[in-house]
Amino acid sequence: MEIIVLLKQVPDTETVIKIGEDGKSIATSSIKWVINPYDEYAVEAALRLKDSQGANVTILSLGPQRMVESIRAALAMGADKGVLVDDPAAEGSDALGKARVLAAALKQIPHDLIFCGHRAVDDDENQVGIMVAELLDIPHLGLAVTIEMADGLIKISRPIEGAKVQLESPMPALITLGGAHAIWQPRYASLPGIMKAKKKPLEVKKLADLELSPEQVGAAAAKIMVVSLKMPVPRQSGLMISGDTAAKAKELVRLLHEEANVI
Amino acid sequence: MQPGYFPANIIFALIFFAALGFFSFTVYKLYRILRLGQPEDRFDQIGRRLRGVATFVFGQRRVIQEPAGWGHFLIFWGFIIITIGSLETFGVGLYHGFAYWKVIGKPLTAILYLLQDLLCAGVVLALVVSLYRRFVLRPERLRFSDQKAANLDACIIISLILLLVACLFGARGAEYRLTQLEPGRYFPSAAFISVAVSGLFARLSEASLVVWYSFFWWIHTLVILGFLVYVPFSKHLHILGAIPNVFFRRFRPIGELSKMDLEDESVETYGVSKIEEFTWKQLLDLCACTECGRCSENCPAALTGKPLSPKEMIHNLKKHLLAKGKLLTDAKINPEGCAATELKKALAGEVCLTDEIWSCTTCGNCMEHCPVFIEHIPKLVDMRRYLVLMESNFSLEVQTVLRNWETNSNPWGLAFASRGDWAKGLDVQTLAENPEVEYLLYVGCTGSFDTRAKKVTAAMVKLLKQAGVSFGILGAEERCCGETARRLGNEYLFQSMATELTELINGHGVKKIITTCPHCYNTLKNEYPQFGGNWEVLHHSELLHQLLNEGKLKPRRRLDKQITFHDSCYLGRYNNIYEEPREILRSIPGLRLKEMERCRNKSFCCGAGGGRMWMEETLGGASKDQ
Amino acid sequence: MTGVCIIAEFRNGAFRQVSFEIASEGRRLADALGEPLTAIVLGDGVTAEAATLGQYGVKKVYLIDQPELKDYLAEIHVPVLAEILRSVQPKVVLSAASANGKDLSARLAARLGAGLAQDCTELLIENGALKAKRPVYAGKTYAWCAWTNGSYPQMASCRPNVMACSLIDASKSASVETPAITLPAVVKSRIVKVEASETKVDLAEAQVIVSGGRGMKDPKNFALLEELAQLLGGAVGASRPAVDAGWRPHADQVGQTGKVVTPTLYIACGISGAIQHLAGMGSSKFIVAINKDPEAPIFSKADYGVVEDLFQFIPAFIKEVKKLKAACG
Repeated sequence: MEIIVLLKQVPDTETVIKIGEDGKSIATSSIKWVINPYDEYAVEAALRLKDSQGANVTILSLGPQRMVESIRAALAMGADKGVLVDDPAAEGSDALGKARVLAAALKQIPHDLIFCGHRAVDDDENQVGIMVAELLDIPHLGLAVTIEMADGLIKISRPIEGAKVQLESPMPALITLGGAHAIWQPRYASLPGIMKAKKKPLEVKKLADLELSPEQVGAAAAKIMVVSLKMPVPRQSGLMISGDTAAKAKELVRLLHEEANVI
Repeated sequence: MQPGYFPANIIFALIFFAALGFFSFTVYKLYRILRLGQPEDRFDQIGRRLRGVATFVFGQRRVIQEPAGWGHFLIFWGFIIITIGSLETFGVGLYHGFAYWKVIGKPLTAILYLLQDLLCAGVVLALVVSLYRRFVLRPERLRFSDQKAANLDACIIISLILLLVACLFGARGAEYRLTQLEPGRYFPSAAFISVAVSGLFARLSEASLVVWYSFFWWIHTLVILGFLVYVPFSKHLHILGAIPNVFFRRFRPIGELSKMDLEDESVETYGVSKIEEFTWKQLLDLCACTECGRCSENCPAALTGKPLSPKEMIHNLKKHLLAKGKLLTDAKINPEGCAATELKKALAGEVCLTDEIWSCTTCGNCMEHCPVFIEHIPKLVDMRRYLVLMESNFSLEVQTVLRNWETNSNPWGLAFASRGDWAKGLDVQTLAENPEVEYLLYVGCTGSFDTRAKKVTAAMVKLLKQAGVSFGILGAEERCCGETARRLGNEYLFQSMATELTELINGHGVKKIITTCPHCYNTLKNEYPQFGGNWEVLHHSELLHQLLNEGKLKPRRRLDKQITFHDSCYLGRYNNIYEEPREILRSIPGLRLKEMERCRNKSFCCGAGGGRMWMEETLGGASKDQ
Repeated sequence: MTGVCIIAEFRNGAFRQVSFEIASEGRRLADALGEPLTAIVLGDGVTAEAATLGQYGVKKVYLIDQPELKDYLAEIHVPVLAEILRSVQPKVVLSAASANGKDLSARLAARLGAGLAQDCTELLIENGALKAKRPVYAGKTYAWCAWTNGSYPQMASCRPNVMACSLIDASKSASVETPAITLPAVVKSRIVKVEASETKVDLAEAQVIVSGGRGMKDPKNFALLEELAQLLGGAVGASRPAVDAGWRPHADQVGQTGKVVTPTLYIACGISGAIQHLAGMGSSKFIVAINKDPEAPIFSKADYGVVEDLFQFIPAFIKEVKKLKAACG
């Protein structure tokens, strides 16, 4: 069985975000790059299937050279090989452009299952994985918190508001991962794993290798783009709410509803 | 069958050489088992090693730290005297005319015989007290999981020695009588106890005396030879192992764990998962243990009901070594094909349970109090290295903290860019801003992020400024020293952290470092030289003490309080800093210092070392509650 | 290309609250554009309710009412939506950024070759085109997105509980039309089961966590937190002292050696905020701290702090939350 995991590298979630000079991207000077947590769950889920059913797990990434470090980290966990599509022509792509590149790369790699995080915790676009499924014309099962395989069918459960849904699909299919670290508990790479990972095959491809023309991807082909990044109104940490008990309660509810939009 | 006459002497010679031969063969087999271990150089500073043997073996220095140790002192010296006496006995067994007084003269013989009498009586007394302690008082440290076997072993030994001594006195008593009757014989009357015993033989004829003498002589000799043969198979293997173990004891600071070679690509396994992967010295340790229990008596894990008892661990490792070693050194057995369970046992997991291995706080109490210098902690760390590096076998909390170190260089995973924030408003310069300072104040993770510890850091800054000390900090550039990663067994992570931090510090041309954390202190001082970090490292109590003595700091305000000082394991036992903090406290007017019962090198561990700070305490009670 | 079209979410026989929010937002955008507002609803039993969208300013509802559409399945819903949209040809498409909504929006956008902004918190029309604001980098920053020239439809999914829902006229009904579309014949994936969640939300998955610490004084008092959590659809957590004291099980512990959680809202009640606890919830989007002690370290990490006896404050807070829920339909 061939499982491909789509992997993206993102700044660690504790990173202090600063807006860059162009006003629409972040400053990358003091960033620690890590595997997108949801993609890490995808790697773990793929490796669990590999452990129980036997499979080859390939990591597929789109991005600059620094992604190699994260691909190697996934290889150290137990994945078998990596493919990186690194082409400046793909820069500036919107989600659909990125999905096109990945779909084109996937057409060249035999696949039964494709796993990926449902979103990346940097740009939070929340679409690339599902778009890849549409472009490949295969079913997708999104936001999985459990994954099982039986009788040649892949089954997931996913949470929706107020309910849990179990979905099932034959292969090939694409699964996007939801959940949290405590649910998936991605394995810690052993030292032999880290050593072996250095020697596992990692191919680097260009758009030309994928039979994609530059007009289909990149900034020029994008339908949507970020025009500016703004820091949220600096909330003083510890905005102390004042007044009597009833007034404080009212104010807190108001703030949570109107400012924070969480209730 | 009088000893020394034909045919008794021939029979004796045969028995003697057979016993000796068997004993030598047993020792040889043990030697071969020890040779299964990995190489280690413990042959440096021979002079110092020999002096160590004099102090710790013949002087019994660590043994007598405890009152009960005087019993052992008596038994030990009694044993030596008995051995000296035994040589005469064996001489007599070969030729009846042999006697010491004919070689060293009567005066010296008299002194020797008197000593023998006194010490043998002392041995009897000590053994009776031992029996009383073991079976009536039953102190904690003599408790054992397999109590029956342990008690049986002890009883056999004690009984044999008592029998041996009884027969010795019997023989000597008879001999004294004979001396009255036979010319040409000499038995010093200075040996008054033997003389007193001889009263039992007062009215016997010469012929009966000879029979009694021979009887006691044979029993005594057979017991000694039997003892010789039995010792390697009981816990008294300790007798063979202890002296070499003291000779080969560790000189490197215990705060310096071994550096694994991670560059060697041919290495396939990391850490220790099989007994033969320990070094020969680590295996020798196991043979030196007599299960005195002083390690467990002071172990915070054992005392709070955790699965770890250092004594039991060493015992289990020894049992496994002897069983597996026997199979491995047997040329007739092919280890691959053999189904013996001992060969298949997982060291970390079956011989020692993982819960045991993870319970250790590396406080060092075990090693501090072991009379024969057994090194418990390096064995545990070696097994942790295997669990972490090879199997990724550790709890989720440990995974969390390892990832936090990897990503943000602090155990809480807080943004590394915010590490220097504690210094806001304190007017402290970073080394990047001003490299021309005398000291680097290495703050550490706790001092940078923990609410309470930040106050300590701020206080330290204030004091240093007041004393006019030239110092700087690393600020946001600072990285975690990685000490705990190494204690947890993640040598790979530690080495990358240490390499990075060393480069960073050396890049600023730092020569002297002050730190407030004992763990950072220990690793920067004792372990970073492995990575090219050779600095003068001071704990803040050392520096403050120095500043007080130089008059640069003067405590002025009175503080009318009674306080006590808890000796941190990594400051006290690990680095011998006991007095400086106390003197600083004593210099504060009004402060009354009261010592805890367990203080200085017996200080009770807080329970957070060895990475345990980051693990849940699900077994036993909390160390901090003790 | 003209008009705004919303994809309403219908489940268990009723429109979900967010549908009215996006209808209201759609109305505002349509007014700014001067163009009509339509809606699409797919579901089982929608016919009876569909017209009510008119109360929020929707002029026309395209609906398909069939049992196969009862629960969302991408393979069925998305092709149908795509076909309807291809004939309606709106300029702007709004959907709900709910679990299902985000799922279908992504697939739909790929199918239509459109640009999509997910989880938007603010929308406006600038120069006749949509501009959308959405949180990025775990909410530490906001991105304003715009669609490139001639890129239609402009699709945006809206975060629930954000857009103001404005009832315009309770008497108005939208006109209803059922397009002649057949559901896809070949469907490979299927729904095995849909089960309503048990009331207890798992701590690791919860988007809202109400946590209690030493200040709770007694295990009985956690009932107060459970009530609040239930109201907010969240879970109850605990700090280490509460677990050590045996008031809550270890599974509820949030912190360095407990669970590391990243909810959208974390309410810390009677928790001092030691660094080990912060390590477990510091990445929460919003942190509210309620503590009697104004010096408690947690206040330095909280977005909103209330210095108050939690036994006085929480009941008052619960009362206000209930009021809000009632007001918002």
